[in-house]
Amino acid sequence: MRPQVHWRQSLRARYLLIIICALALWIIVFPLMAILMQISQSFTGNTEANPYASHEQLEKHWHDTAAKLGQASPQQITKRLTQLKSEYPKASMFWVDGSGLTRDMLPVQTQLPQQWTAVDSISFMKKSYDRDPFTIVSFIGKQPKNGFIVMQVPRELLGNTFNNSYNYNWLLLVQVTIYILFVMISWQFFKRIRNRLVRLEEAMSLTDPNGIPHTLQVVREDEIGQVEHAFNRMINDLRTSRQREQEEEQLRKKLIANLSHDIRTPLTTIRAHAHSLKEEPLSAQGVSSIMLMDTKINDLGHLVDNLLSYTLLAAKRYTLQLQPVDIVRLVRESAANWYPVLEQEKFDIEIDLPDNAILWSIDPQWMKRILDNLIQNVVRHAASGHYIGIQVLDSAHQARIVIIDKGPGMQHSTDTKGSGIGMSIVTVMLQDMGLVATVRTGEYGTAIEITPHLLNKI
Amino acid sequence: MHRILIVEDDNEIGGWTERFLQQKGYDVEWRTSGDGLVEAAASKSLVLLDVMLPGLDGFTLGQRLKKEHPLLPIMMLSARTAIDDKLQGLQFADDYVTKPFHPDELAARIEVLLRRHEHNEPELISLQHLHIYPHQNRVVDQRTGEDIILTGKQHHIFAYMLRHANQILTKEQLYEGVWGEPYINGDKTLMVHIRYLREKIELDPSRPALIETIRGIGYRVKR
Repeated sequence: MRPQVHWRQSLRARYLLIIICALALWIIVFPLMAILMQISQSFTGNTEANPYASHEQLEKHWHDTAAKLGQASPQQITKRLTQLKSEYPKASMFWVDGSGLTRDMLPVQTQLPQQWTAVDSISFMKKSYDRDPFTIVSFIGKQPKNGFIVMQVPRELLGNTFNNSYNYNWLLLVQVTIYILFVMISWQFFKRIRNRLVRLEEAMSLTDPNGIPHTLQVVREDEIGQVEHAFNRMINDLRTSRQREQEEEQLRKKLIANLSHDIRTPLTTIRAHAHSLKEEPLSAQGVSSIMLMDTKINDLGHLVDNLLSYTLLAAKRYTLQLQPVDIVRLVRESAANWYPVLEQEKFDIEIDLPDNAILWSIDPQWMKRILDNLIQNVVRHAASGHYIGIQVLDSAHQARIVIIDKGPGMQHSTDTKGSGIGMSIVTVMLQDMGLVATVRTGEYGTAIEITPHLLNKI
Repeated sequence: MHRILIVEDDNEIGGWTERFLQQKGYDVEWRTSGDGLVEAAASKSLVLLDVMLPGLDGFTLGQRLKKEHPLLPIMMLSARTAIDDKLQGLQFADDYVTKPFHPDELAARIEVLLRRHEHNEPELISLQHLHIYPHQNRVVDQRTGEDIILTGKQHHIFAYMLRHANQILTKEQLYEGVWGEPYINGDKTLMVHIRYLREKIELDPSRPALIETIRGIGYRVKR
């Protein structure tokens, strides 16, 4: 049964938190920025309101001033302009009287004509329209014959309460920062998940001697934490089942060992008494019966032996100790051990071994056992051929052990059932040592060739 | 006369083996458990020890026995045939025979083991036309009564072969047994020594009858 992940500890919750924070930043940050800007502006000392801010106001003020000056003398107009100049110090002003004479340039502008003609007026208007500086022209007293007053304000002073471009850069910087922050937090979030998954993967592939991974320490109770818990449960189940399996294996091993013992003990007695019988006066029939009994006791003994070995082998309960072994020497010793038996059975024995050593990475005990099994098979099933060839061939690319007989071939060996298990053992043992047996069998004999797998080369 | 101690809990096997070995001319004592084994074994020339015994098992008994009587040969007689068991047994035992053993094989192995542990080798070994006196390192041609003079190495080789008579010795075993160092492949020293040895002791060195060549394997001296 799967325990629930606490919502507050879940990855979903954390992911959602990141997303919400990101969205909230976008919503909150702009108004916040505006406010911050204003505050910072007011702190930098620019506390007075900008008198040039609104061009509508400027225009209105200018026109009103011009209208009021309808009856004023030039001195009064000059005075009024000087007064206005002090109000708008960054603006330039001048006025032109009814006769077209330029008066009171504040400050002096050399490019202006001293005496205005119609052409001058038009070109001035054309030059000033929608340009920088912002130019306001107003007829004095609303009467063109009285002349006109002009105010020019640099456009950079118009429009805004604070510096536009400066503010824009700042905003961009904040945006980029927020972007990067968001990407980094998301990256960190996924990187942590990824790291934990990698750790999990490592833990799963690292096994103890029994081939079972170690349990994990669960640090966080989130979804991955649940996977880790599930993994730990699985490991524990595996351990229990492996232990049970081992116990069963032990039991089976013991059972077979006991069985083997219990079969061998009466067999020994039977053989002993058969041997005693041989000493008694017997007919030829009797002697051959006892001989047959003897052979069958032997076979039964070997069968039990092989059964035990096969059970252990199949369950991989044999300890295999691979080491570089000179197979020429090993084969020679096996042949020496079997020589008396082969001689007694009147075999024509052909041993062909090279002078040099050939090293294979094998377990010498196993290899001896394999050779014993193979030679024994020849003695038991191929004695009619009266020939055995035991060879080690050392060709340039691959050495091989060859055992040849001239018996009736494997298909015909029906006389002793159960010989199959001996061959199965040989096959399994060879396989575990990285060797392979090739059997060629026919009516006129059998050849078994043992070669290393391509991968087992020293 | 050799005295053999059998430890076997199965009555039929134990009883039969006792009679069989008595017929072979040994003085036999049969016990069904390991109690008092160490004391009983003191005067024996060989112990036949079953593995599955009531009380202490044969492996434990054997190890204890070997510790007390290091020179006493022990032959394990067991229904346990796994290589592991054999290896465990052979760590202390001198031989390991599996059941159902063949009576003749058992007798032969006992004989071999006793001979190997013989403290007093026979004064005289008679082999075909030779009289060999192992204690005096003397080999005499009995037809002429003359000594055959062998070099040290030739003596060693011949004595080693006699000690392992009827056994086929590979050239590696022979070399390592005599020289006491690992055989190097392709080394012809041994062959040369054997050729000179044969020239001295064989009637017809080109058709040796004493030191038999087992082609591809090694040599054998039959007694």
